[in-house]
Amino acid sequence: MALPLAQELIFGLVIGSYIALGAIGFTLVYGLVNMINFAHGEFITIGAFVGYLAVVFGGVSLPVALLVALLVAAVTGWAIARLTFEPMNDAGAVPLLLMSIGLGLVLRNGMRAIAGPDRRNVPVAVTTYRFDDLGFFVTSNQLFIIGVTLFAVLVLHLFLSRTMVGISMRATADNERLALVSGIDTRQIRNAVWLAASGLAGVAGVMLAVSQSANPSVGFGQLLLIITAAILGGAGSPYGAVAGSYLLGVGIAVSVAFLPADIVALSSTMAFAILIVVLLVRPGGIANTEVRTS
Amino acid sequence: MGGSVDAANRTDRRTFLKKTGACSVLTAGLAGCVGTEGNGNGDGNGGTPTDEPTDGDTTAGTTTEMAGPERVVIGQPASLTGQWDFLQPAVSQSTDLAVQEINEAGGPLDATLEVQRRDTAVDPQQARQVVRQLVDSDEVHAINGLFSSEIVPLWDFLQEQQVPVVTPWPGTTFLDTRGGDKGTDDLGDDEWLWRTVIGDTVHTSGAAEAMIDEAGIEQMGILSATSAGEEGWTRQFVNWYESLGGEVVEVVSAQGGQSSYQSQLDRLFENDFEAWALSFALEDATTIIRNWDEGGYGRQLLMEDGLRDPGLIDAVGDVAEGAWIAAGSTEGPNFESFLPKFRDAGDASLHPWGVAAYDATNVIALAIHHAGEASHDAIQRSLGDVARGGGTTVTTFAEGKEALDNGEEINYEGAVTNVDFTPHGNVWGDVAVDRVTPDGFENEFTIGADKLQAEIDDY
Amino acid sequence: MSRFELPEIDATRAGLVLFVASVIFLYSPVFIRPPSGTFVFLELAVLFLLYALILIGLNLQFGHTGLVNFGPVAFFAVGGYAAAILTANDPYRAVGLGFAWPVGLVAGVLAAVALGVLLGFSTLKLRDDFLAIVTLAVAEIIQGLTITFRDVTGGSIGLQNVPRPIADMTGGGGGAELFATIVVLGSVCLLAYGVFHRLSASPYGRVLRAIRADEQVTETLGKRVFRYKLVVFIYGAAIGGLAGALLVFYNGAASASFFTIDVTVIVWIGMLVGGAGSDRGVLGGLALIMGFQLFTRFLNDLLPFVTQDQFASIRLVLVGLLLMLVVKYRPEGIWGTAEELEADS
Repeated sequence: MALPLAQELIFGLVIGSYIALGAIGFTLVYGLVNMINFAHGEFITIGAFVGYLAVVFGGVSLPVALLVALLVAAVTGWAIARLTFEPMNDAGAVPLLLMSIGLGLVLRNGMRAIAGPDRRNVPVAVTTYRFDDLGFFVTSNQLFIIGVTLFAVLVLHLFLSRTMVGISMRATADNERLALVSGIDTRQIRNAVWLAASGLAGVAGVMLAVSQSANPSVGFGQLLLIITAAILGGAGSPYGAVAGSYLLGVGIAVSVAFLPADIVALSSTMAFAILIVVLLVRPGGIANTEVRTS
Repeated sequence: MGGSVDAANRTDRRTFLKKTGACSVLTAGLAGCVGTEGNGNGDGNGGTPTDEPTDGDTTAGTTTEMAGPERVVIGQPASLTGQWDFLQPAVSQSTDLAVQEINEAGGPLDATLEVQRRDTAVDPQQARQVVRQLVDSDEVHAINGLFSSEIVPLWDFLQEQQVPVVTPWPGTTFLDTRGGDKGTDDLGDDEWLWRTVIGDTVHTSGAAEAMIDEAGIEQMGILSATSAGEEGWTRQFVNWYESLGGEVVEVVSAQGGQSSYQSQLDRLFENDFEAWALSFALEDATTIIRNWDEGGYGRQLLMEDGLRDPGLIDAVGDVAEGAWIAAGSTEGPNFESFLPKFRDAGDASLHPWGVAAYDATNVIALAIHHAGEASHDAIQRSLGDVARGGGTTVTTFAEGKEALDNGEEINYEGAVTNVDFTPHGNVWGDVAVDRVTPDGFENEFTIGADKLQAEIDDY
Repeated sequence: MSRFELPEIDATRAGLVLFVASVIFLYSPVFIRPPSGTFVFLELAVLFLLYALILIGLNLQFGHTGLVNFGPVAFFAVGGYAAAILTANDPYRAVGLGFAWPVGLVAGVLAAVALGVLLGFSTLKLRDDFLAIVTLAVAEIIQGLTITFRDVTGGSIGLQNVPRPIADMTGGGGGAELFATIVVLGSVCLLAYGVFHRLSASPYGRVLRAIRADEQVTETLGKRVFRYKLVVFIYGAAIGGLAGALLVFYNGAASASFFTIDVTVIVWIGMLVGGAGSDRGVLGGLALIMGFQLFTRFLNDLLPFVTQDQFASIRLVLVGLLLMLVVKYRPEGIWGTAEELEADS
């Protein structure tokens, strides 16, 4: 007996996982550094190239490549943020946004100038598990990306709930002034945020290099979906971002299956329609974050 | 408060006056070219630069030599950044290869041939600026470039430039009846666009014919991108295939750049059909083919012409083994000699547009040499003369230059086609259906150009 | 209020006078051919004037009222497509109704206003960052629709055979139509600048800035904040739609790639670099960024150690670096004032 929608659900979880790995980091930066980082896609691209180099030239397995990309992207992203965003942290949201647009242009095109526009594939052996009786299949690669994402969410949860830095982060996100008064070192928190956000972006990059390729605009291509998922989840909430990502993923997969043939190309636009509908019904996003007056 | 406002206003007025003054000066500078419509001054072609400004004076003494320019410049609007950046390296490499060969043979009109390559990111707005810059600032003698999605919105603008454009990119059926010299020497009816790549009309009619007649496939599904080239291919293929009696069961369209296309494949393969066609550019196509393999969907795959790229073999040559690819023969009379030279020139992955760029560059250079001068009008007149049938057959610029200097007429045979321009500036070629193997492409069947010519009226 | 502002009366009057003069110029047999070598700058100037129209509306929305509209290109696109579909004569594989161009111009503005009303009513109550993303999403949806409904819009290759009134009324060739276009668009731009500037300098404008500074307080002062925001949003939509219609009448074609997110990005960068809220500063910022983009196109011969192919990327790196430098040393924008910035962030 075929399970209805099982296949669409799996596809949706896969699409959502790609988005979620980027969206968690984006929303952490959004909530704690108080900026919309348009260069987040380039942090993903860095991870894609590191993953490609590790697998193709380093000869390591995919999980090891993920770890390498996590570390390299985390440190690189943190260093870039220290150089560019940190010195003007008090300037406000608008200059930070502009700075990130400029940084994105520099990184994206700098990588193209060095690496060239070629699409570099990361070869990975894939096994397919078929459940024809139940009407779906799933591949080892799909399980891997979903697993990596869930693992990342679990680690993040433990970090936010069990470590001092994590607890301070949540406190700061809830109420920055109170956190300051309580003696929380916000500088240390921002360091942690940049490391975590860029590291997760690096992981997302490796996974995208496997499914698409390592190229200078691979991360940039995901940026709009990532922002959409992060806002959908309630800006600044990592759990909301994960929920938002999966909602988008499933929404896209289901719309591909059910949209009329003439307009099936609208499936990738559905993410934005979902966003508008959710925000109109629930103006605080999925996590319904408290409306901070700006 | 009041005082400071006054002071501010004073400075404002001063800067305002300064600016107004500057504007007047500028206007006065421009006013050198004031005219009125209808007094003979407005011939519509006044500002078009033609030859190198210096050539008349510098070479006037050597009267026996052909009085040509010192350098000839071809402008190349290019996809160096943006969504299609990965297609440019092969075109750059084969253009540069052609230019090097041309200069080694002494260059057109014994001048040095140069390429001015400028980025458009395949954005028509940027393309418009780049064409302006190439024509008006760089004073190029001809243009070698531009995609379908740039040409169509800029059509009127390009015609007004009256600069010959020979491009290796566009497949669009829009150009089937537009472009070329209409087979006449009169420039009045000319449209200043020629292409050295086979149009979608030819590819798709050959592909459809191969599917129906050779493979006996009567029902197909299609997975197509929404970008200009891919959407055009799909639309035209469906036309031909259905007019030959086949049935396209479903076309699933999707935007590019997605991390997974499993949903689209799943939808497509719920239908009954014998073969499916894939019309996507290389990067998404490799993602889709891997998804297709992993999903175990099976059935015969037919790919659009643009995917005939060694990059495809490298990425998915093993899993796509046995798939077909229908392309207007990428191997013209001159391909065998072109390929090793291209390989030596660099490591770009070669696709049909890359080969066509070699032809475009050679045809332009030969036309300049044939014209005897590097004016836009003369080049436009000569493009058909050097490439259409009749005269000594040549396959390189060196051979062509020698023959022209001996007073012969020439017929350039290209690397991708024989470059026999139709009156609309299009080229024909056989359509080959190749089979993908892990080592490359192997010919499965070929539909001759003559057979297609009988079926296609306007091209 | 900023010391860079002209007395507002001048721009409106000058715009009107120039507009009348440009119309007379169009109808007269006189033409002016710009000298060769300047065409690419004039081409850029045309685009600058079109984007400046969008920016004038956007600055009223964000600079003065604090409405974060991340989708100005949506109105630009709707205006452009409405004008093109109504006026195109037998376009290649798209719908063209062949009306005269004034019909298209009016329809372009009305279509954009309609979208503005719809969007304004449904979303202006959202908080700032959510409004930003909703407007961004709407722009993406419009882009998706134009690509998907290709039988109407022509998809990725667009619609052709749209009338080009300015070019048609200008004989002379050799760039004369470029000059005429700049004169006409320049006067439209100056007029729009004058009107919007007068609006923002009036008591009405003070209410708008009060809304930006603190919505709740303004509401308690008895001002109907939502209505003010809606009207400002619609003004911006209308002028964006006008710009879109003028773009298609200049090109004689509409195409999805004229209306990408890049338009939104460039006008936002121009506004923030110039200093949001400074009516003249934002135009200076846009001119600076667009001018630098063009200027770098001429640089590749100066860098002999990189290929032309690499230079295309390096050129965009330079654009990004310029942006970063401006932000670092003038975070409030070159002609902006710090107090306006504080109210924004």
